Amino acid sequence: METAHIKDRLVDYLDGTLEAYQREEVKAHLDSCAACSQELEELKTILSAFKNEAMERPSASLRTNFYALVEKEKKLDTKVLPLQVGKGRKTKEWAMGGVRMAAGVALLVGAYFFGKYQEGNTNMEQIGNLRAETLEVRQTAMLSLMENTSASKRIQGVNFITEQDKLDTEIIGALADRMLYDENTNVRLTAVEALGKFTSFGQVKDAFIKALKTEKDPTVQIAIIHTLVRIQEKRAIAPMRDLLGKEDTQPFVKEQIESLIPSII
Amino acid sequence: METLTDENLMMDVARGNLDGLKLLFERHHMHVFNFLYKMTGDRMLSEDIAQDVFYKIMKYRTSYNNGKFVSWLFTIARNSLNTHFRNQRHTDGDMDQLNEVQLQEPEGREEEFSHLHRALSKLEASDRELLLLNRFQEIKYAELAEMTGSTPGAIKTKVSRALGKLREIYFGII
Repeated sequence: METAHIKDRLVDYLDGTLEAYQREEVKAHLDSCAACSQELEELKTILSAFKNEAMERPSASLRTNFYALVEKEKKLDTKVLPLQVGKGRKTKEWAMGGVRMAAGVALLVGAYFFGKYQEGNTNMEQIGNLRAETLEVRQTAMLSLMENTSASKRIQGVNFITEQDKLDTEIIGALADRMLYDENTNVRLTAVEALGKFTSFGQVKDAFIKALKTEKDPTVQIAIIHTLVRIQEKRAIAPMRDLLGKEDTQPFVKEQIESLIPSII
Repeated sequence: METLTDENLMMDVARGNLDGLKLLFERHHMHVFNFLYKMTGDRMLSEDIAQDVFYKIMKYRTSYNNGKFVSWLFTIARNSLNTHFRNQRHTDGDMDQLNEVQLQEPEGREEEFSHLHRALSKLEASDRELLLLNRFQEIKYAELAEMTGSTPGAIKTKVSRALGKLREIYFGII
C-alpha cells in the first residue's frame, strides 16, 4: 500500500467513514509506518481542537439591533420582493441570488444610511449643545427628554445618558421608569440596554427583577433575561421559572430561559 | 415543548410570521458570529456582518427555497464576507495584506487568540473558510458541495488537503 494513498484516507479514518476493508488497510499500514502514525496523531489533535474551540460571545447590541430590525419590519406593510428564481441548478440560483441580493442590499443600506446621516446631523447638534451645558442643566435636559411625548426623543434621552460616566440616583430612577413603564417597546428596550451598563447599582438590579415580572413584550423580556444572566443575578431564577409556567410566554422566550437558567450558578 | 426544525420555522417566517426570525437568530447567531470572527479576526466587523446576514435572511425571506436552513444561512454569510473582502481589496491593495493585519487588534484591546485561531489565520482564506464550515460548524461534505457548486468527493479532498496544510502550520508554530 502506497503511503500517499494512505495519507489521503487518514481524515476519513478518524471520522470513521471508511469501509471495513479500507479501515483494515489503513490500520495495517499504520502499524508499520511511523511517519503516518505521527501524522494521524497530529490530525487527531487538530480535529479535537476544532471540537473544543471556545465560542466567543458577540455583544448584546447584535441581538438588540436585530430584534429592533424585526420589529421595524413587522410594522412595514410593504411587500417583500421575492428573488426571481430561474431554472438553473440550485447553486446557480443561489449565486445569482447573491448578486441580486447584493444590489438590493446596497440600495437599501444606502437609503438607510442617507436617512441616518440626515437624522444624525440634528441629533449631533442637540447633543453638542447638551455637552456645552453645565452638569445640572444637562441632567435636567436629559430628564425632560425622557419625559417627551415623542418616543424617538425619549430614546435619544436614554441613549445620551449612556454616554455619561457618572450618574446620580435621580437619573437612574428615571431610566428605570422608562424600562418599567414606558408604553413604547423600543424605548423600554433602549432603557434595558442603557441600564445594562450600570448593573453595579443595587437599584438597577432591583429594577431588572421587577421588569422581568411585569414585562410582556418578548423582545424586551429576552433583553432583560440576558442582562440578568450576564450579571449572574440569582434572584432572577424564580421569576424566570414563573415565565416558563405561563401560557402567554412566547415559545422562543421559554426556549431561551431553559437554555440560560443552568448558566446562573 | 414541541421543537420546530429550522426549516419549518423559516417557512413560517417566509409566510409572514416574523417572530420566528428571533428564534432562528437565537439558535444560530453565535455560530455565524464565530465563523465570521475566525475569518476576519475582528470582533466589531464580525458583528456588523452577522447583523447584515440576519437582515438579509429577513429581507429575502420569501426567496427561501425550503432547502437546508444552515446551508442557506452560511451561503449568505459567505456572500457578505466576500463582499467585504472585495471592498477591502479596493482600499487595501490585496487580500494577503488583510490576512496579515487581522491579528493586530486596535490598541488597548488585548485579544487572546487560540492557537487554532492563529494557525487558521495563516491559511489561505478559501482553505480557512472550508475548514471552519466543515469542522467548526460541522456542515457536511454534501451540503458544502451544494453551497459551492461542487461535488462531495471534491470537497472531501479539499478538506483533507487543507487539514494537511493546517497540520503543518499548527505544529510548526507551537
